[in-house]
Amino acid sequence: MTALFQRLMNIDRRWLYLLVGLAAVIPILLPLNLPVNVAQSVQDLYDRVESLPAGSVVLASFDYGPSTGPENDPMADAFLRHCLARDLKVLCIALYPLGGVTEGAEELQRAVGPLDPANGVLESTAFPGKFYGRDFVYLGYKDGGQATMRQMGENVHAVFPREYYQAPVTDYELSNQVRGYGDVSFVMSFATGIIGEWWANLVNAQYGTPVAVGCTAVSAPKYFAYYKAGQMFALLPGLKGAAEYEYLVKQKYGQIAEATAADVYNAGKGWDVQSIVYTIITLFIVIGNVGFLLERRQRRS
Amino acid sequence: MFRKRIPLLLTFIAGMLPILSFLFRGPALRDEDPTGNGILHVSDTFERWMVILAAAALLLGVVNVFQVNLRKISNRAQGWPYALVFLLALTITGFFGLWDAFSRASNTAWYAHAAYNWIVEAGFKPLQATMFSLLAFYVASAAFRAFRVRNVEAAILLAAALLIMLGVNPYVVRALPFLPDLTQWTLNIPNAAAQRGIIIGAALGAASMALRILIGIERSYLGLQKGE
Amino acid sequence: MESYRGSLARPGAALLWLALTAAPAAAQGGSGWGIREENVSALVLFIVFSIVIVVSIRLARMGRPLFVRRIAGLNAVEEAIGRSTELGRKVLYVPGIMSIDEVQTLASLAVLKHVAKHTAEYGTPLDVPNKDPLTFAAARETVKEAYLEAGRPDLFSDDIVHYITYDQFAYTAAVSGIMVREKPAANFLVGSFYAESLLLAEAGQGTGAIQIAGTAEVAQIPFFVVTCDYTLIGEELYAASAYLSREPVMLGSVKGQDFVKLMLLAWIVIGLLIATFFGNLALQGWLQPQ
Repeated sequence: MTALFQRLMNIDRRWLYLLVGLAAVIPILLPLNLPVNVAQSVQDLYDRVESLPAGSVVLASFDYGPSTGPENDPMADAFLRHCLARDLKVLCIALYPLGGVTEGAEELQRAVGPLDPANGVLESTAFPGKFYGRDFVYLGYKDGGQATMRQMGENVHAVFPREYYQAPVTDYELSNQVRGYGDVSFVMSFATGIIGEWWANLVNAQYGTPVAVGCTAVSAPKYFAYYKAGQMFALLPGLKGAAEYEYLVKQKYGQIAEATAADVYNAGKGWDVQSIVYTIITLFIVIGNVGFLLERRQRRS
Repeated sequence: MFRKRIPLLLTFIAGMLPILSFLFRGPALRDEDPTGNGILHVSDTFERWMVILAAAALLLGVVNVFQVNLRKISNRAQGWPYALVFLLALTITGFFGLWDAFSRASNTAWYAHAAYNWIVEAGFKPLQATMFSLLAFYVASAAFRAFRVRNVEAAILLAAALLIMLGVNPYVVRALPFLPDLTQWTLNIPNAAAQRGIIIGAALGAASMALRILIGIERSYLGLQKGE
Repeated sequence: MESYRGSLARPGAALLWLALTAAPAAAQGGSGWGIREENVSALVLFIVFSIVIVVSIRLARMGRPLFVRRIAGLNAVEEAIGRSTELGRKVLYVPGIMSIDEVQTLASLAVLKHVAKHTAEYGTPLDVPNKDPLTFAAARETVKEAYLEAGRPDLFSDDIVHYITYDQFAYTAAVSGIMVREKPAANFLVGSFYAESLLLAEAGQGTGAIQIAGTAEVAQIPFFVVTCDYTLIGEELYAASAYLSREPVMLGSVKGQDFVKLMLLAWIVIGLLIATFFGNLALQGWLQPQ
């Protein structure tokens, strides 16, 4: 028995990689639909969106790139769909230099359906009656990080004179209406790395605008400190947070449940994968420790 | 004097500006200043210049890439085929990227955009996602190796890790319904406390280091010799 | 002492005093100058912090003995380089992925100088791949000067400090490739890291290298702790230059920083007691920066 545990303790790491690889692939092909427990930080975001009156404007910032797409894309999808289903207006920007602009464009198209504003295709196919420029608009990417955030507080139009498809922002009702942080109900940042902190430290602290962040799991422990301090009113921590938020939104809005089910990849599938991988890691940790303790006992005796 | 004093003076001015802009207000320097605060406007302008400087330095980096890798290839040094692949990828992507940028400005050559887009969608993005996905495997192997009960600290580390991982497992939670609350408490209280402690310590360390740099005590980044 | 000569402490203090005295007067005159009232608490802390640091430095210059606790990671630097020399393999130094405007990068360059001096003295090959072009330029100068100070400028070549790419994961892939193919005996991962921290550290761990990491990125510290032999956590990274050089003036600033931390701790405890027993949160608004 001890020998078996010792062999497992010193197993070649490639066997572990193989198991993790299988655990990552199988749930994507065969969805398990594992249950989720909704955390308060996620519930807070859902409740805030539900409580806003129709026509309220929210600012969604795409502060991540393709590398964290699997974590941040599902939360962006769920949030955009939720806002549009609640008749809120969404102003989208991107502040992440490496791929933020394409992530914003792609997620918006995934949420609302194919668009071509430059050629007059403005109506959302997923949400009929919602139009680009009136109900949602994408201003594109701007570099400068914190300097950009500060300037947006003074004059959004000076920072983004044109929207993503190169029309002047004054041409569209929504982008024309938003001049500063006072014109939005809250800021939602889908962040990787430090940009979420900038929103909390700069925009929330200096302008008083409520901020919510959807972050990667690795940054979540750090962001919890901001959430507890009240600098963020809500937090979606990693894929788990995305799965919980998606679950809440699907429960209430059938059309969102259908749209999510049609996606090749969504937070629910990702969470299935993560749960199975956690289980495998936990098992191996337990096996490793049992082997370690048995070996130590053997050495002592 | 030029080698030592001028860089130190520039560092001092550039470093003090953001501090002064945070603490003080100045008259707007020009009508179209969106901040209405002259000091803040100058500080923001310096930050934008930094972006331009970085772009210029990028050229320096690219030149160095060619120098180092061409030398590797010509000397048939260890790993020279990888250097060849590196330079080919750089040249091809750079060529299509620049062609796309210039053709967009002149509204011609849709195929340049298509080619560059294909390189990004079919090459760059999947490769980026692949590298990031390695984390899943490395977390597994690092956890397996590191979470052993060697001593008291390691035992506490193991207990905390198991608490978090089991607290999000749907089947374990079904058997132990109090676990998610305990997990959330661990994240919200001890974890937040420890994170804040490290953040405060690191922030003070950074402030001390920044002050040393500002007043010119810390000069190693300038490449100055001892005694200069 | 030598490094403090010609510093800008005196002119800096004079400038700040001028700003502090002129600002209120100018504000009264309505010329647009003034203190930002919403950040007065930050101004007070800044003044207190600066005074404490400057006083500590002055005390250090007077020759007062200073105790700084042992930092295992920094003590292991020579051991790591020695191991590389014995094995005939190179030392890999990764100065983080952020630019020169990040304080962690500057702290990393200070450690790099120390490492480069030792590799020059022992004749050990050094490899410093860079992600940021400005950091690359600064690192090259730092290493060149280190080799000059060590009296071995002949060992310096442009290939030691080289640029890879600006993309985070392409850089990670390149450095992981260097670790796996060239198998350095010592890896230094010092600076600002994000998601690539575990990728780099685990790749290095697999090659059997001795690894010394240092970062103030709170989210990445656990990854370094579980994969590296030594980890500099948060402020230990910033204290590295003072610790390695042992210059009294720099050590004095570290002591001053510790004193400010003590003051903040006392402030937190007092505030906690006031809020708990008197329910008085009046100070909260003043302390909150706007």
